[in-house]
Formats: sequence, C-alpha cells, structure tokens
Amino acid sequence: MHRLGGVGLAAFERQQQSQRSFAELSSEISQGQVDHLHAQLAQFRSALLHFASTHRDSIRKDPNFRHAFQQMCATIGVDPLAGPRKGGWWAEMLGLGDWQYELGVQIVDVCVSTRERNGGLIEMKELVRLVSKLRGVSGGAITEDDVMRSIKTLKPLGAGYEVIDVGAGKKMVRSVVKELDEDQAVVLAIAQEEGGRVSEEMLIARRGWTPQRASAALENMLVRDGLCWIDEQDEKNGVAYWIPSAMRWDE
Amino acid sequence: MALSPHTTQSGFTLPSIHSFPPFFTKQVNLATQATVTEHWTKLILSYARHKRLFTIRVEDAQKAGNDWDEILRNERINRSLPPSHLSYILNDMVSKNLAMYDPPKQTGSVLLYWRSPEEWAETLYDWVSSSGQLNTIMTFLDITDPPVQTPLSGLPLTILRRAIGVLQKTNRAQMIAITEGEGVRFFGGR
Repeated sequence: MHRLGGVGLAAFERQQQSQRSFAELSSEISQGQVDHLHAQLAQFRSALLHFASTHRDSIRKDPNFRHAFQQMCATIGVDPLAGPRKGGWWAEMLGLGDWQYELGVQIVDVCVSTRERNGGLIEMKELVRLVSKLRGVSGGAITEDDVMRSIKTLKPLGAGYEVIDVGAGKKMVRSVVKELDEDQAVVLAIAQEEGGRVSEEMLIARRGWTPQRASAALENMLVRDGLCWIDEQDEKNGVAYWIPSAMRWDE
Repeated sequence: MALSPHTTQSGFTLPSIHSFPPFFTKQVNLATQATVTEHWTKLILSYARHKRLFTIRVEDAQKAGNDWDEILRNERINRSLPPSHLSYILNDMVSKNLAMYDPPKQTGSVLLYWRSPEEWAETLYDWVSSSGQLNTIMTFLDITDPPVQTPLSGLPLTILRRAIGVLQKTNRAQMIAITEGEGVRFFGGR
C-alpha cells in the first residue's frame, strides 16, 4: 500500500516541514498585501493632498464645487469636517473645518442681532443674504446648503438652532428653543406668500379656520412668542399681524 | 416685501423699520414694545439733532403741519403715530434721562436731550473760551441768540441753566444778577 508521505517518523517530519513552509508563505503573502495597502494609502493620501492643495480655493469660493465635493466625501465616507483632534489632517489640509465654524459664528451673529425684531425666527433666504453681507465680497458666495451644514455643526452647543420647513419650499431658521405648532407653521407659510402680513380673515377664508382658532394662533404668536407684531391701522381689516421674519430688511 | 431706508425732503434718512406698518402701533408683547420704544427714541433724538429741534409735544402726533411730520407720519404706507403711543414713548425717554418734561408738572411736552446737559456744558465752555469771552459777564441772550450762528443758537433756557449748573459745580462758571435779569461769567485758566 502506498500512502502519500509514507509512514513512520520521516513522514511526520515531512508534514511538519510542509506546514512550516505554508505558514511562511502565508505570512509572506499577507505582508505583501499590507505593503500593497500601505502603498495604496500613500498614493490615495498624496492624491488627496494634491486635490486639496489645487482645489482648496475653489472649495472655499465656489458653492457648486463645494457642494459636489461634500457629496463626494459623503459617498466615500470621509468627513471633511473631522477636526485635528479627531486626527483629521484632511481638515487641516483644506481648512474646511475652520471655514464651516466661521460660517457658524456668522450665522449666530445674524440670528442674535435680528432676534429682537423677529423673535428668533428668520427666513433662510434673508439669513443667507445677511450672512453674505457680513462676510463681504472676499468671503465668497455661500448657499442655503452651506448654512444648513453649519447649523448642524452648531448642534453640540445645544443652542437649539434648527431649520424648519414651512412648506412651499420655504425654510426658516429658528434660533430660540421654542416649539412651533402646526397652526403657527401655517401662519408663517401664509405670511411668506403675503410679504409678511397676516390677518384673521385670511386664515378663515383660505384655510377654513374658525375665527377662534385664527385668533388664538395669532394671539399666541403675538403675546407669548413675540414672533409677530400687531398693526392697528390696517386699511383692510382694521387689525393685521406682521411677521418680521418673513420680510426683507435693508439696513 | 422688502423694507428699505427712505430719505426725506429735509435730507434725513429714515430707518427701514419706519416703513414697517406695525411700528406705529403700541405692541402688547413687552419685549417687542421695548424694541419699538428704543427705535422711536433713537429716531426722535436723531431727527431732533438733524433739524435742531428741542421740543416735542404729544399733540404733534395729533394733527399734521408741524416740525415732526416727517417722522410721526409715513404717508407712503399711510400710518401715523397715535398720540397715546407718543406719550408712552416720551414717558420712557424721560425715565431714561433722554428728555425732561417742560414745563414741569405736565406730560404733554418735553425738552429733548439729544445732547445731555453735561455735553451742552462742554460745548458751551468750549465756545466761550474759543471766542475769547472768558471772564466777561454775558447775558443768557448773548449765548442763545448771538449775531452769528453758533452751536448754542436757539438753546432753550432750561437746558442752558442746567449746563451752567454743571459748570458751576466744577467752578468754571458763576451766575450773576444783572440789570437785564440773569447773567453768567465763565472762568478760564484751570
């Protein structure tokens, strides 16, 4: 009978020998893979470095490019905002973290300085306009998308900054911790359409609200939340309510 | 709707809030009204400075045809400040020492401090020393109605007395009784 490797002590040794060779081979192969991976990473890194250094200015200046870049980062699971503490040479390279935080500070600045007249609620377009003005021409253009991203980075501060959708594609930014109920959202949406003016009659005619519901919603916004102002000299209805956050203020 | 500043015929720039219809109504929300009062106070004082007005009366809001028309009404949006609201604002200004009821013991008319009595005192003293009138006796009329226009022309006597009072405290002026009534002498060389 013939067995592979034969029998006896010699066979035992031979088997051990082959096992050793296999182990050697396997570590050689995995070493090769690791080396390869390192090489790839280094290449990736240098490519990114190159990308960052060549496109840094475009990322900061051009909102469309920035948007595309952020989408790309999201697909490959890289957070361009990861700061230096999180080991982000990436953020350092681009300076995008600083850029975003700076924008965050400017957003807070605008929200706080307009709070006394709008009660802590500002329309997205108006916010973008005021922030752009604050940044000046050299700051480059910013978009709603940038503002929303920055507001997200403000979240850990717990200041309650939030973007709310009031319908019809209109967004507002709320800078005070306050719950907006559904009726208030409706009032805000109408105010947006009407250039800031809302009356009980409008809510009754357009939304089929009862007079009580309309008056309660407006009264709450007026007295409790300070989100609107009352006008007792209204030509049409005698009394009307104005929502400053739905208007554009040129200083 | 966009609100923008507006320049009046007299060259005064009204802030955009002046075109915001509810700005003329007294607000029920206290925080909002505080904003309204603050804006009106600033508006009244800067307009007074612009046109060198010293007095505002509650009745100026009642009917048109006075110095304050340009700010107390906004024809473009057909709004005007109701007298009761003006009265509230003036009361707040008096409490903040930005105005005083004059004559006293009524609340219908105030003198506006677009410069405080202390600031008027400095203006007065600067003018007297730069025009070489230190140590001479001057009547109040010499100061408020000089032949050439000065920063003090038309200054109400009540404010003038207060300003002199400030200078008296620092030994820079002395009130003197003279034949035509009251006079004042300013001292130089501090």
